[in-house]
Amino acid sequence: MDRIRSSTIGRSLFRSPDRATERDRAAGHWANFFLHIYPVKVRREELTFRYSAFLGVASLVLFGSLVVSGIYLMFFYVPSPASAYGDINTIQNDVAFGQYIRNVHRWSAHLMVLTVAAHMARVFYRGAYKSPREFNWVIGVVLLALTLLMSFTGYLLPWDQLAFWAVTVGTSMADFVPFVGDATRTVLLGGGDVGSATLLRFYVLHVAVLPTAITLVVTIHLWRWRKDSMLEQGGDQ
Amino acid sequence: MSNEMDRRDFLSRSWKVGAGLIGVAGLWTTADLLWPRVDAAAGEVRTVAADAVPADGVIEVSAAKAYLTRDAAGEIVAINEKCPHLGCRVPFCESSGEFECPCHGSVFNRLGEFREGPTPRGMDRFLVTVVDGMVIVDTGNTISGPGKGDPESIDEPPAGPSCSEGSGHA
Amino acid sequence: MSRRERPSPQIVDGKRVLGIVPGTPAVGDRKVPASDDLVMTSPHLLVRHAVAAIFVLLIVLALALFFDAPLKDIADPTNTPNPEKAPWYFAALQELLALFHPQVAGVLVPTAILIGLVALPYIDRSPRMGSGTRKVAVTTFTVFLVLWIILTIIGFAFRGPNWDWVWPWEEWHGEL
Repeated sequence: MDRIRSSTIGRSLFRSPDRATERDRAAGHWANFFLHIYPVKVRREELTFRYSAFLGVASLVLFGSLVVSGIYLMFFYVPSPASAYGDINTIQNDVAFGQYIRNVHRWSAHLMVLTVAAHMARVFYRGAYKSPREFNWVIGVVLLALTLLMSFTGYLLPWDQLAFWAVTVGTSMADFVPFVGDATRTVLLGGGDVGSATLLRFYVLHVAVLPTAITLVVTIHLWRWRKDSMLEQGGDQ
Repeated sequence: MSNEMDRRDFLSRSWKVGAGLIGVAGLWTTADLLWPRVDAAAGEVRTVAADAVPADGVIEVSAAKAYLTRDAAGEIVAINEKCPHLGCRVPFCESSGEFECPCHGSVFNRLGEFREGPTPRGMDRFLVTVVDGMVIVDTGNTISGPGKGDPESIDEPPAGPSCSEGSGHA
Repeated sequence: MSRRERPSPQIVDGKRVLGIVPGTPAVGDRKVPASDDLVMTSPHLLVRHAVAAIFVLLIVLALALFFDAPLKDIADPTNTPNPEKAPWYFAALQELLALFHPQVAGVLVPTAILIGLVALPYIDRSPRMGSGTRKVAVTTFTVFLVLWIILTIIGFAFRGPNWDWVWPWEEWHGEL
């Protein structure tokens, strides 16, 4: 590895060939796009399992898994009541590894809801939402809401009995929101009832709007985590 | 001096107002764009002959997503299939003569009046007219169901066992 | 000695002090951890994150191997399945909806939870961190969390047709 890093191409890629001293490694860290979401140094306690249970990382990994498996599924799925259900059947029975990819997508989604919620609980019990990290907690709450919306919009797409009625019940709740409830529901469903317009709208939300929003908000979340990583919180530890 | 400050102030305010206007226009456009076109399904539906509507049971007209029955005075009533609680379709249980919602266990009598459960009101109704002996259901015209506390207008206690297997629910 | 009395050009550590600016440091008055508490992210944290990532992926890949995602009959607007269950993460909400008026269970409670969570760091301003030293916050949060988990489990596994109570070992109606 070190030989590669010090070759001409290696230097052009990694910028800093040596990794002997801390300074070398810091230089290599700064020159790496993928590492730029990390601070160069972290507090020692952040390495322990007790500190975070690595639930934030787990959530991010699951999001990655969802993006990848979701893209596979998109190749075989058309969001219309006429074809959606049949497409899922095709994915499961005819597409190579189709059933497996769908399982991965489903399980990643379930687990992501769990890890995001658990991450929030862990952060709460550590008191990590306190000054100066209040706003990053708020961003985290937004991410929890986005995760749930993501799961809920995806739930409709197979267009089976489970999907149809869960979404009917879920969106009927909006009717009881004063003033804006009815309008929100109509726009979300694209009509009075769950139908072809709803399927298309949920699909667009699920594969375009919400993933973009989550990516943006996660970026801010991580950026603030890095920026705040050196700041000490609270009085007693 | 004060004039110069006013101009600066004016410019600084105008770009903010401009940005705000563009934002509002954007929101307006988005809302208008996403607002669904008029639901073609909603409207008057010719259903069955008035003679076919029973006074002791209900018949379902799926074209209107409604049940037809007769109230105590013999008038035809069209009941919206959707539970006013959370929009589940409420099936009619022949053995008990009640509407039983599968979602959260709301129960209604034959006229869709409240019996038990978490629903906020009785089942909604559609406007009904009889033209040339045919029942016309106006699905675009919903009437909120009778209130939860209103007394039932018919005296029809459950005729038999409920259609749900688990009858231990109090 | 006060800043004003400081003698000008002075050699410290081979560097000349040109001036001293009064005020607080740019990071504010927050404490910065002493440097011996710090470790290099690469490799110490990166390795642990990589292990965590592989572990999570293995769990997902294994679950997907053994449990298939459900697919029921095609959607039928004229036939509501009985029982009708929301996704498990909304099971608590659905359970509440069966108990209270929808305006309370479906609107008031979720809104209150969301606002409460967002407002939490602005309400709890005490600088204490350890969970043993902030009993009120920890107790409140724990009570809500446990309640929510219980409601989720009830809604998910203990409800059958017509939302009646069932014992999960006798009848299973949970859907993932």
